[in-house]
Amino acid sequence: MGYAHPEVLVDTEWVSKNPPGEKRKLVEVDYDPVNGYQKGHISGSSLIWWKRDINDPVTRDIIGKKQFEELMAKNGITSDTEVILYGDFNNWFAAFVFWVFKIYGHENLKIMNGGRKKWELENRDYTTDEPQIPKSTYIAQPPDEGLRAYLFDVSRALGKEDTVMVDVRSPAEFSGQITAPPEYPMEHAQRGGHIPNANNIPWATAVNDADGTFKAVEELKQNYEPKGVTPDKDVICYCRIGERSSHSWFVLKYLLGYPRVRNYDGSWTEWGNMIGNPVEK
Amino acid sequence: MLLDLPVLKKGTFYFIKDGESDIILEDKTKRGLPVRETSIDEKLNVKVDKGMIHDMDGIGHWVSIRWYFSKDLYDLSDVILHAEIMEKKYAELRELTCPDDD
Repeated sequence: MGYAHPEVLVDTEWVSKNPPGEKRKLVEVDYDPVNGYQKGHISGSSLIWWKRDINDPVTRDIIGKKQFEELMAKNGITSDTEVILYGDFNNWFAAFVFWVFKIYGHENLKIMNGGRKKWELENRDYTTDEPQIPKSTYIAQPPDEGLRAYLFDVSRALGKEDTVMVDVRSPAEFSGQITAPPEYPMEHAQRGGHIPNANNIPWATAVNDADGTFKAVEELKQNYEPKGVTPDKDVICYCRIGERSSHSWFVLKYLLGYPRVRNYDGSWTEWGNMIGNPVEK
Repeated sequence: MLLDLPVLKKGTFYFIKDGESDIILEDKTKRGLPVRETSIDEKLNVKVDKGMIHDMDGIGHWVSIRWYFSKDLYDLSDVILHAEIMEKKYAELRELTCPDDD
């Protein structure tokens, strides 16, 4: 049995044989472009920098519709362009950008399975040349808020049997032993632990360790169903800042075809900092 | 194991440990950070373990976790000198960001 939506994935071989053009754009999405895109990227790919491009520069929020349209225009993307995303950190931020593209209704969108990790393992070429991309015009859809969970959605879901929370962080973060790994000292919260009754299913359990590609559908089902994360539930995924959870959101919604999955991008840096929020350890 | 080595001296922000052939200076503020590279510290010309810390923008910066001063070339007082420079730098930083109440 295959993925519910196999059309959202391409492999590295396909990318190497199908270069970007007028109707196909390749976009690298990085958390750390200095140590990623700027050191080398797949020929013809443009860059979306998670921090600069996809987040509002002042308020903690994703970009608005107008900012999204400007970002698309800058990257030469129109509403019918086939866009292939890939990136650093196991495609976490590529998945986050996939989620934002879907919020604004972009249809023809794919992720390169394995991201930079697999491309590099296969010793494929990078370039430091940046493509000259003519500006396009892009009209986005109104935001699809059904893909996003806010603090009040999560608060309302507490104790409800038909909503299931998936905490995709590491077991050490889930238990409250740490609030953030030492590599990310800016991403701590005031309290450690997890949202009451959340299931700890780390994002990494959905990928093959060796090359960062997604596991097969039967393995993915075994990962979620025994913990009660089933397609008949309203599923909310969260992590620390909402990027690893968008990776799991992608798995549940597009690879397993769950009808109702939301990403809580406020995640632990919101929940664990709010006064009075219930915390379980 | 580096953790098990005898501590020769410790400050608020450092440990100095007694290795087999090196005196090891550890930056306590980098505790738990995975070592991603071992190279030569260009300034001190000693072996150094380095990790990466990501800033608010997600950009990774190489940082030193521990330095290995060969016992053939350095004694404890040399290492303490470097440790105290580090201690002073962190103490000033803390004063700047989180001053004690009078």
